[in-house]
Amino acid sequence: MSKNGQEHLVLTGVVVSFNGFQAVDGLTLKVSKGELRCIIGPNGAGKTTALDTICGKTGLTAGSITFMGKRIDNLEEHQIARAGIGRKFQVPSVFRDLTVHENLEVARSKRSGVLANAFCFERDSEREELEKLAEFIGLQECLEIPAGHLSHGQTQWLEMALLVAQDPELILMDEPTAGMTVQETHKTAELFIRLKEKHTLIVVEHDMGFVKEIGDVISVMHQGKLLAEGTVEQIAEHPEVRSVYLGTGGIGSA
Amino acid sequence: MKRGTAIQLGTYGIVCLAFLLVPSFVDDAFILNKYARYLVLGILAVALSLSWGYTGILNLGQAMSFGLGSYCMAMVLKLRTVPVHTGKAGLPDFMVWNNVDTLPWFWEPFHSMAFGLFAGIAVPVALAALLGWFVFRGRVTGVYVAIITLATLVVVNLMIIDQQRFTGGFNGITDLAQLEIFGLTFDAYGSSSYYLIAAALTFCLFFALAVTKSKAGLVLQAIRDNENRVRYFGYDVAFFKIFAFSVSAGIAGIAGMLYTIVMEFASPTFLGVQLSLSVVIWCAVGGRQSLLGAALGAIIVTGMQGALSESETFLKTWTLIMGFIFVVVVLFLPKGLAGVVEGLSNRVFGHGDSSKPEPNIVPDSLGAKSEAESLR
Repeated sequence: MSKNGQEHLVLTGVVVSFNGFQAVDGLTLKVSKGELRCIIGPNGAGKTTALDTICGKTGLTAGSITFMGKRIDNLEEHQIARAGIGRKFQVPSVFRDLTVHENLEVARSKRSGVLANAFCFERDSEREELEKLAEFIGLQECLEIPAGHLSHGQTQWLEMALLVAQDPELILMDEPTAGMTVQETHKTAELFIRLKEKHTLIVVEHDMGFVKEIGDVISVMHQGKLLAEGTVEQIAEHPEVRSVYLGTGGIGSA
Repeated sequence: MKRGTAIQLGTYGIVCLAFLLVPSFVDDAFILNKYARYLVLGILAVALSLSWGYTGILNLGQAMSFGLGSYCMAMVLKLRTVPVHTGKAGLPDFMVWNNVDTLPWFWEPFHSMAFGLFAGIAVPVALAALLGWFVFRGRVTGVYVAIITLATLVVVNLMIIDQQRFTGGFNGITDLAQLEIFGLTFDAYGSSSYYLIAAALTFCLFFALAVTKSKAGLVLQAIRDNENRVRYFGYDVAFFKIFAFSVSAGIAGIAGMLYTIVMEFASPTFLGVQLSLSVVIWCAVGGRQSLLGAALGAIIVTGMQGALSESETFLKTWTLIMGFIFVVVVLFLPKGLAGVVEGLSNRVFGHGDSSKPEPNIVPDSLGAKSEAESLR
């Protein structure tokens, strides 16, 4: 286990090029263990692509990514997940035909081999733990209904619960509050602050109110590059950030 | 154990018991043989339900595993025919007609019954694992999997027809001995074969049910739903798919071996495109997401085909009637007959295993719509 404050995830000179278009152009980013890092930036800044490279969805054109001291940019998605990185996608993606409870069971993936799972029938033993988790996200009444029948907000919550059940070291969140009401956003912020105790989080977000509520360190991306990095106050004062993203009104009006 | 699982186990048990009791009421050897044949096809449907219904792999080449199992059994039984029907040193008759002097090397091990029974499962499993390795490691999905499996089936089928000297070509392998193990003789028209097949169906049903009830089975269903999401939980999707594909091939191999016993021959039509596509129809009619539903679908459809084509009234129109039934099922019963039974039992016994009423979050019409979408 690395100590708190040590570099947990390091992106060095990451370049992703789609047919010549540089979606990410020499991004260098360092995230410490136990940190909650927000990534903001205008549309097309390469925020989602940056997350995609970390979890293995998109390959690198150049650069390297290390996680807990190991290179992960040449691994397959499932190997990266086993190394301890979980991902929430922008478009909610749960298993619609499976019940809420089954969704959570699949997410509990400490044991991921085929044969180990083929002889695993004692699925009820985990039930209590998963029920507690469902209660936490307010879905305890819905454990046995298919996830496809949940509302949009509930689906978002289920996705976050899936990550809690998976229990990875590092959680990548892509716009977790998209389409949420003010109360829901607030509750999400609470959840994140709770998650921060045990996990490292990287959150891509547009909602500046939400970012202010949760963020320690904010990284601003612009045209595939890191534009600025710092606390909420530092970012709000940064002249370039104001001109490309926040607008002249500052962080309050964004 | 969940109440839903208990009900399911009970239903499977009762249906299998009913199959096992049939010979007590039927003593016509011809009819019993016919029923045995339907049950074998039921096993084949269980195999497809496991790969298509539970994992989302539409295997249009299921008959390949079936046919290979069938040929393995036929090779063993051919080498056991009395010398009158064979050439010098027990050489199979069709080889003598094709001017083959010595038994080819790959026929040699089939002198052993144990090897034959092993090969009937192992050959389809190995071939499926090899094909699955390339297809699923290469992340081929959807309709392309269907095309590749169908093409592979045609290749294997043509190879068997082409190598007439060793496989009997179009005629297949005929004039076989009866299966004898542990002092028991399995006559195709006797009740012993029927019992063997009913027992095999029971075994395959419960084995497949165990697979789907395990955590691996749950992951397979998750893969069917959203393959990419599963990867990010750390599961190696390709290996899970190869697993399901191979287990399914093994079950189809067992069905193939049993088919040789009831039909008393093996033929290239057992690896035919027509049979392979029929399996898909049986599963769709019975309900592909239910193992028992798929088995019953196969038995009902083939049974009906048999009954209609034998009756004089429908001699010319029976294919039309069958076609009409398929269209009706696909249009109005997306979950097949199993879906109808499930819906009825939910109405009678209340829903599943939760004592609380199901919160009605989405109107039923929406649920039905997403069903139709998933079929597309």
